[in-house]
Amino acid sequence: MVKVVLKGITKRFGNVVAAGNINLEIQDGEFFTLLGPSGCGKTTTMRIIAGLEQPDEGHVFFNDEDVTDLPTYKRNTGMVFQNYALWPHMSVFDNIAYGLKVRKVPKKEIEERVQKVLELVNLSGLETRFPTQLSGGQQQRVALARALVIEPNVLLLDEPLSNLDANLRVKMREEIKELQKRLRITTIYVTHDQEEAMVISDRIAIQKNGRIQQVGTPIDIYNKPKSLFVATFIGGGSLIEGIAEKVEDLIRVRTGNIIIEGVSSTDGKKIRKGDRIACVLRPESLSLEKPEEPSNRLEGVVEWASFVGPMTEIRMNLENNRLLINAPSDIQVPIGKRIAVYIRKSDTIILPVEEEKL
Amino acid sequence: MRQDGFKMDFGKTWKKLKREMDLMTASQTLIAFSILLLFLIAPLALMVGQAFIYRGNISLNWFISMFGDPEFISLTPRGGRLFEVHRGTMYIWGLDYGILLNTLIVAMTVTFSCSIIGVTIAVIMARYSFKGKEIFRVLLLVPLLATPFVNAYVIGKLFQPIGGLVNFLFYNLLHIMPWRIDIDGLFGIALAQILSYYPIVYLNVFASLMNIDPSLEEQAENLGSKGFRLFRTITFPLSLPGLAAGAIIVFIFSMEDLGAPIGFIGARANPLSRKVVSYKIYSSFAGALAGGISPRTYALAVTILVISVIGFTVVKRYVSLKSYAMLSRGGRWSPRVRTPSWKAQGIIYLLLMVLLVTASMPQIGTLLLATTNWATSGTLPTKLTGEHLQALATNPDVARAIVNSLMYSSVAVTVMILVGASIAYVVARRDVPGRSVLDVMATIPVAVPGIALAVGYFLFFTDYFRGTLLDPIIDPALLLIFAYSVRRLPFTSRAIFAGLQQIDVSLEEASLNLGARRSTTFLRIVLPLIASNIIGGGILSFVYSMSEVSTSATLGALREDRMPITFFISQIVYGVAAVGAVSVGAALCVLLMSIQILAMVLSNLILKQRVAFLGV
Ligand SMILES: Nc1ncnc2c1ncn2[C@@H]1O[C@H](COP(=O)(O)OP(=O)(O)O)[C@@H](O)[C@H]1O
Ligand SMILES: [Mg+2]
Repeated sequence: MVKVVLKGITKRFGNVVAAGNINLEIQDGEFFTLLGPSGCGKTTTMRIIAGLEQPDEGHVFFNDEDVTDLPTYKRNTGMVFQNYALWPHMSVFDNIAYGLKVRKVPKKEIEERVQKVLELVNLSGLETRFPTQLSGGQQQRVALARALVIEPNVLLLDEPLSNLDANLRVKMREEIKELQKRLRITTIYVTHDQEEAMVISDRIAIQKNGRIQQVGTPIDIYNKPKSLFVATFIGGGSLIEGIAEKVEDLIRVRTGNIIIEGVSSTDGKKIRKGDRIACVLRPESLSLEKPEEPSNRLEGVVEWASFVGPMTEIRMNLENNRLLINAPSDIQVPIGKRIAVYIRKSDTIILPVEEEKL
Repeated sequence: MRQDGFKMDFGKTWKKLKREMDLMTASQTLIAFSILLLFLIAPLALMVGQAFIYRGNISLNWFISMFGDPEFISLTPRGGRLFEVHRGTMYIWGLDYGILLNTLIVAMTVTFSCSIIGVTIAVIMARYSFKGKEIFRVLLLVPLLATPFVNAYVIGKLFQPIGGLVNFLFYNLLHIMPWRIDIDGLFGIALAQILSYYPIVYLNVFASLMNIDPSLEEQAENLGSKGFRLFRTITFPLSLPGLAAGAIIVFIFSMEDLGAPIGFIGARANPLSRKVVSYKIYSSFAGALAGGISPRTYALAVTILVISVIGFTVVKRYVSLKSYAMLSRGGRWSPRVRTPSWKAQGIIYLLLMVLLVTASMPQIGTLLLATTNWATSGTLPTKLTGEHLQALATNPDVARAIVNSLMYSSVAVTVMILVGASIAYVVARRDVPGRSVLDVMATIPVAVPGIALAVGYFLFFTDYFRGTLLDPIIDPALLLIFAYSVRRLPFTSRAIFAGLQQIDVSLEEASLNLGARRSTTFLRIVLPLIASNIIGGGILSFVYSMSEVSTSATLGALREDRMPITFFISQIVYGVAAVGAVSVGAALCVLLMSIQILAMVLSNLILKQRVAFLGV
């Protein structure tokens, strides 16, 4: 098992920056996720770690060894491709055994190890099937088994669940997490699904336009997003933009008649009086009852409410800003009614508005 | 600073090259380049160079003397008869405007006629449904069956004014024609070529038509366009790339064809049949052993080489520009097919029947020659005989030619696959310098007339490889093998390339990622996945090699015990025809046809698709 370090990794495809000066340290045995919208360079970053792509600049280290110039077949990484890349002309057994055969492992041992890994991924008995005779979930397990059986330094998973249906996705992500915990193998996981990333990862790196925006534990990133992009990509919620009126422990925003006070997760460094800033109001942080802690009171008209089981989703119009609120499911609010909602000042996230750079 | 930057750049480039150029890629690139350089570029370059050298200086002398010589270019006819009626016989021979113009006129006539026939048939087959269509579809390919030399011989025999079956039937028996008809010479050559080449246009246009998004035509119809107007404004323009591709191939084939001239000379001995470029070059090989080949022949070969390369390049540009017709935007995808009215169906049947009977004459005639005494019996055969087919096994000369051809073709197919797979893989998958050059070089042979290549080979290998096994005067076998390989290479490498495009790169990356080197990955993952393309391409290439004419009939002439089947047939048809040995040539053609049919069936089974193995 290894620690993976990326130092100043940059990769361009023409004008597109697929990886922009990436610096990461992924600890031995860690479950690390690259999260970002489609096209942001997650796959490219992962392929650079696997050695399938050569960076224009920067170095990749496994433990302290510089592997930048090592071809992929010498890196001992186990990659699960987004489309699984199972060889259609080989049986399940042959697919899985391939990496071992290439390593000239004795035949007897190959059989044992393949059997063991098949058990691990719950596929025993399907050795002789061919990939086309398997369901999506089974193909996914074969791909996983094929990567695991060589006991790789790093397990690389590129959106492994994106081709599965919703139920199976939830089941498989638990299984993968379970397996990883058991094997304690350094794992790098790529996904564009923030919920999946939150559930499965020890730490998450959020990537945008090739650059890493923030690295941290799921809780950290959720509670202390360092940029508006991260805040909206993780968790979502409503945005209200305005001008910073007062910058002290709390930051006060004004827009029209609304005044909101909150805390900045960028440690207040970047925000100055008069800056354009935005409040991120998470739906689950808003409530209809006034909390005991200091809070903001926001008044608006209910535009729409729907019962979705565990809760009621309310959409409120706040001086032409839309506010989404998750209220308890037993609450009934008539549409058109004016109501007040509250949010703790400590839960109100305030971030500078980024000038969108191209 | 700048130097540093340069150094770093250089270091990076070098590193990248090292990474891309693993042992396998390096050997593949090397093999591909050396074969193409040695057996395509160098011989042609030397020939072109020599054509421009006169007494040690660069000069246009050979071209000027050729273009000024009425034997090559004459703006007034020097002989021949075209639609002339003499004593109850209409002579259709064509007029002699000199070898070079004759060749161009024939090639243009053939291309034009094939285009009209090909497009008509393609539209009928692609847009109408009628009973027996599937049978017609197969029968329409009959003219593709190789009957080199004998096809023209059969046509010549059928149109003989006295004793020819056509005249006997329509003039003597049915009295439909006011005169006997005598088709021979240049016109005969053109007719023979039209009948065997129209399927090339037909197949290409048909493929184009099947690829047109039906909604394009439906939209036009919806806007009020129909019938011929729809065809003229929408369907035809969209199928033009297919037509252009087919037409240029027909043009090149016609220019380099030796089969028809030799066949007609064998059947009728009309000197007009000798007045084409291919025959001129062919006959210069006869003198090659004694005195070498004259630079004027190089100039002649270079002229047709230039014409066909230009034509091919223009068409290729055009086709790649116009491939929009292939773009589909989803939606329903069944080509528009309609059932025509009874009257229209009647016309279609009549058209197809006339075409089929006419176009299959060579194949039917060949069969008759091989199985009966038709060669000597006059208008119609009088008795069946198996002796000609038997001769294939019993006559030692014939048997040797068969063995030679089988051997050359097998080796050639191996070379082709090796080189073709290397080129296809490097072009499709690797990022090495010279990759695009390789890609272009591999398509050149399509545009190179076989006789031009033969001249180049003779010149280059007698000069630079004198006395070695590559010297065609010592032994033409190796050169024949490489000529077959190189000439067919574009088709082989494209078939393999198509296979590679079907397999996702991630299948290879997964293998590399799991610890396999590139060579292991190629052998264990790539090859098995493209096996069907390789086998399918190999089978068709084998057939091609067995029936290749241009280099076989020229280089093959240089040593008697090395002659391939096709040269043997040309000898029989050309020389000994009067004695009736042509039947043995026909028997050899029957053998070729059988191999070809078997191969088509096999490759259809393997590739599970129809063969359209001729295209740009
Ligand atoms: N081989 C390539 N050639 C050119 N552009 C590429 C290539 N691979 C990726 N890109 C571009 O780099 C960007 C990042 O791609 P990718 O890493 O696949 O993103 P993600 O996996 O996050 O969706 C995209 O804009 C993509 O178009
Ligand atoms: Mg991706």
